[in-house]
Amino acid sequence: MTTIWAGLSVGGVYAVVALGYNIVYIGSSTLNFAHANLMMLGVFLAYWGLVQLSWKIIPVLVVAVAIVAFASMGEERVAIRPVRHIQGQLVTMVGAATLITGIIEIVWGQQALTVPSFFSDTPHHVLGGAVLPGDLAVIGLAVVLTAAIALVSRLSMVGLRALAVSEDRDAAQLRGINVRRMQVGVFALAGAIAGLLGPFLGPLTFASYTLPASLAVIGFVALAIGGYGSIVATTVGAFGIGLVQQYTSRYIGANYENLMVFAILVVVLMALPNGLAGARRERVV
Amino acid sequence: MLARIRRVPFTVIPLVLAALLALLPWLGLGIYWNQEIVLTIGLALLVSGLNLSFGYAGELALGQVAIYAVGAYVSGYIALNLTSDLFVSLLAAIAAALVIGLISGYPGLRLGGWALAMTSFFLVLLVPDLVNIFQKYTNGTIGLVGIPPLTLFGQPLDSNQYYLFAVIIGTLWFAVFRNLVTSRHGKALLVLRRSPVLASSLGIGVRPLKLKAYALGAVPCGIAGVLFANLEHFVSPANPGPFTITTAIAVLAASVLGGSTSVYGALAGAAVLQLGPLRLSSFNQYTDAVDGAFLILFGVLLSDGLSGLSSRLAARWQRRRAAPGVGSTALESRAGREQLAGRLSGAPLEVDSVSKRFGGVTALSEVSLRAEPGKVTALIGPNGSGKTTLLNMVCGFYKLDQGKIGLDGVSLAGRSPHKVAAAGVARTFQTPIIPKGLTVAETVATGRYATAYTAMPTSVLRLPAHWRGQRADRQAASRALAVTGISHLATEDAESQPLGIRRLIEVARLVAAEPRVVLFDEIAAGLDDDEVRDLGEIVRELASAGGTVILVEHNFGLVLDVADEIYVLANGRVVAFGPPAEIRAHPAVLREYLGVSAEALEPVPGQTATEAHHDQPA
Amino acid sequence: MTSLRDEPVLETVRICSGYGDIQVLREVSVRVWPGRLSVLLGSNGAGKTTTLRTVSGLNRATAGSVRLFGRDVTKLAPSDRVRLGLAYVMEGKRLFHRRTVEENLLLGGYGKARGRRALRRQAGAMYERFPVLGERRRSRAGELSGGQQQMLAIAQALMAQPRVLLLDEPSGGLAPIIVKQVLAIVDELKADGLGVLLVEQAAEEAVRIADHVTVLDVGRVVIDKPAAEIESVAEIQHAYLGGYRSKPPRSSLPLL
Repeated sequence: MTTIWAGLSVGGVYAVVALGYNIVYIGSSTLNFAHANLMMLGVFLAYWGLVQLSWKIIPVLVVAVAIVAFASMGEERVAIRPVRHIQGQLVTMVGAATLITGIIEIVWGQQALTVPSFFSDTPHHVLGGAVLPGDLAVIGLAVVLTAAIALVSRLSMVGLRALAVSEDRDAAQLRGINVRRMQVGVFALAGAIAGLLGPFLGPLTFASYTLPASLAVIGFVALAIGGYGSIVATTVGAFGIGLVQQYTSRYIGANYENLMVFAILVVVLMALPNGLAGARRERVV
Repeated sequence: MLARIRRVPFTVIPLVLAALLALLPWLGLGIYWNQEIVLTIGLALLVSGLNLSFGYAGELALGQVAIYAVGAYVSGYIALNLTSDLFVSLLAAIAAALVIGLISGYPGLRLGGWALAMTSFFLVLLVPDLVNIFQKYTNGTIGLVGIPPLTLFGQPLDSNQYYLFAVIIGTLWFAVFRNLVTSRHGKALLVLRRSPVLASSLGIGVRPLKLKAYALGAVPCGIAGVLFANLEHFVSPANPGPFTITTAIAVLAASVLGGSTSVYGALAGAAVLQLGPLRLSSFNQYTDAVDGAFLILFGVLLSDGLSGLSSRLAARWQRRRAAPGVGSTALESRAGREQLAGRLSGAPLEVDSVSKRFGGVTALSEVSLRAEPGKVTALIGPNGSGKTTLLNMVCGFYKLDQGKIGLDGVSLAGRSPHKVAAAGVARTFQTPIIPKGLTVAETVATGRYATAYTAMPTSVLRLPAHWRGQRADRQAASRALAVTGISHLATEDAESQPLGIRRLIEVARLVAAEPRVVLFDEIAAGLDDDEVRDLGEIVRELASAGGTVILVEHNFGLVLDVADEIYVLANGRVVAFGPPAEIRAHPAVLREYLGVSAEALEPVPGQTATEAHHDQPA
Repeated sequence: MTSLRDEPVLETVRICSGYGDIQVLREVSVRVWPGRLSVLLGSNGAGKTTTLRTVSGLNRATAGSVRLFGRDVTKLAPSDRVRLGLAYVMEGKRLFHRRTVEENLLLGGYGKARGRRALRRQAGAMYERFPVLGERRRSRAGELSGGQQQMLAIAQALMAQPRVLLLDEPSGGLAPIIVKQVLAIVDELKADGLGVLLVEQAAEEAVRIADHVTVLDVGRVVIDKPAAEIESVAEIQHAYLGGYRSKPPRSSLPLL
């Protein structure tokens, strides 16, 4: 059971990465490869605020949300809007991701830093397994955010408009939706969420400039499993990956956990090109 | 003096520079720069591997660093445990690189875009885990330490001799790379990058070509691994280190910086990143920021890198020095055209009761059609009538649900598009598909890739067959350009031409392939009357030369003018067929296609519709 | 025939437009008046859809201007033109297939009204006008029949309370009896004071309900007159056959 909690908490991190991907995808049909880097920026900002400046949590959150949202909108303006075709976008998005990591390295150096948790350090025993309260918080956040975004996208007019844009951009424009504003908006929202999560993810992931690359790639695996734009399926996939990693690590060996996820990625991409959700949906000619 | 320099073939210059580079240690180059240059060559090799898959084949496969690691570990392991012979090390590393390159390239056949980029990134992330799993051979996180220097015929190489080895092997690889990309194969890769559909329609097998690109792209990475292992005498998976995402990104940055389709750009990009103020090998904390900035800057502004910039500046300089009257870009877009000479060995194309469904929608229902050589057979019908579906089925892009399609009695059913093209079926596209980075003449010559194939080794080694092929390509291309009247544009960039010229380029490409069956997909769309008239003449000449010509068209006037037989499609069925005179007055045609009923027609007294239309004032 | 003409609610003044460097429209001028139906005819590739796309803003006019209620909107984004009262029902019923009927209607109204409650009320008005939509309000748009989808597309456009409506081949792919129903609805819309621009391939049916007829041929206007002045459909058929283009005699076959 402890393994399960460990898997779910790692999975929770992947889930919020993939959620960031999905939010941006739904409103703009682009995959923001730099999202994991924005999340890591949020973690480092949490470190800066809580450790270096010794601020209270609320001001740290406010500043982190503002800075990361702003960085995200900047990325959209500079690296995404000017480039139209996919080959160019691949290059500029990798560039944006690398630039964010580079700024982190310059400001905070290359050592991994510990972000203190404001939950206690003693593991609780829940359902027969040990788990840190901070990790439970991450799992809870992932679930809550998933539910919130899924509900908002289905039930609110804004969400409906975002879904419309991702289904048919031209038709959405003709129904009066300003697609450019929508694109900036989802980038800002994804950035804000990334900033908000910094203090919660920090204790679990450490503030490390090498982490975003693997988070980005594994978050993508979750997206491949669930299907682009399928919020709940992707989160389920992310938790699944976390569990697979922990079980593989425990029963086969730590060196095999990423290999196993890679195998899942290849199998999923070859067999289910539209993800789980896409397979169920019938083809509309 | 300048003129004499310009007459020297361009390839001499890089060779001279390489020779100079090789001699540097004996001219006083210190050990520090010695090492930096070897590392630059290594980086340039990695970049050239990326250029093959990204710049040429168009796939962002970033796994070069993984193969770099394979090459380094294989070379280090062999030197430590078996022999430190230089040739054995190189060959083993190249073999390993090829094998791993093929295996890791296989998913790339099915995937594209982000899926491929992510999967290949993942490979790089797996390197530390794989190193640990194969601890027995790699010595895990400690790494291979104390690798003995490489030996040549038993003599160990000192650092200057090693440097010479690095320069020689680098020059050899870049010669291979250059010979490859300037040959037909490089052009075929550019076609593949632009559109796999276009590649198939020219008879280029997409999967085999992609696999070859991945395999070949792996070779320089293996060589780079050998260079690295034997420079540092130490291989480990540590982070920061050579086998990390940071290096993969630096490779991408160098590629974009130098120009992803440029041979020498790979060297320039590598030099800037390695030797510039950054000193890539020191893996300091500024590397990522600078790489990221370069990627964004060049990705947005200068997408063909420094080499693209320099060739544009060179072109502008050349144009300014050319004789007045020539060289303005506002060229005459129409010159005289020659008539098509020669015969085409056309064959009858028979479509027999073909049906096709997509989901719940019936696109074609028992459509039968016969196109004879020497004749123009036209296919008309409103949007959604199934014309384009039928065309795509003949070309092999869709599978038959029912019925038969045969060429000269031989069934085409189930054949993949490139096999159909290889059987002699050539087509144009509704919007012309022209690759980037080729001149008009080169684009036209790509039509001959499959019909007059030379193998890759032949091209790389510049054997006589390669030169024969080039000459034949040039002749076929210039004949085709003369027929379409665009010979004066032969050396211009093809992709930036206006639509009418691009349609003519597609037609010339088709003519150069000497096809048996020709399929025109709405070639008159968007053209003015003169251009349509010229195309009509070319269509008729292709038929008169013996080819089987099928014209899918909206432009009813053109069809009436050039067709021998017209098939009318509506809602997936043939509603009428016959010669133009019959079709223009056929009630079903009027109803389905023009939306008027026969009863509503009142002929102008004293004239038939045909005579009336010819009497209109100019 | 009125001697005093109302001002057109929609007017294109010699627009040139196309896709990339493919020029499709060559100086096309079209007009739509309030409460009247202008029909745009022409064979495939003549530029009918391109005209509508340029009016709506999806395509940019490279020359000429588009005037909505007398105002030059040539540079306005599509979503802004919608806000001014223009609605465009695209060919092939470009609905949001994965969203329900109700959601499609709500999306249609976004340009004008805010707030779900106001939109719901308006949707209710649509259900009264098109009862079959009311019955299937929770079905996904992709599951409706062709005729129902067409009705939904028109209702969706009407949610924005437009004063000018562009309709692109609403009869496409529909059985003749449904075509009659759809065109009857179009006729009713005129009574609401809407100016309607209808593009059709089914020339005969369309001319019967039209107030004004414009015929395009390879991107140029070849006929432009009030419907009452059209003598016979043969006149239009003539244009379809390219009768208005000068044509040199067919080239002689080379001897081989």
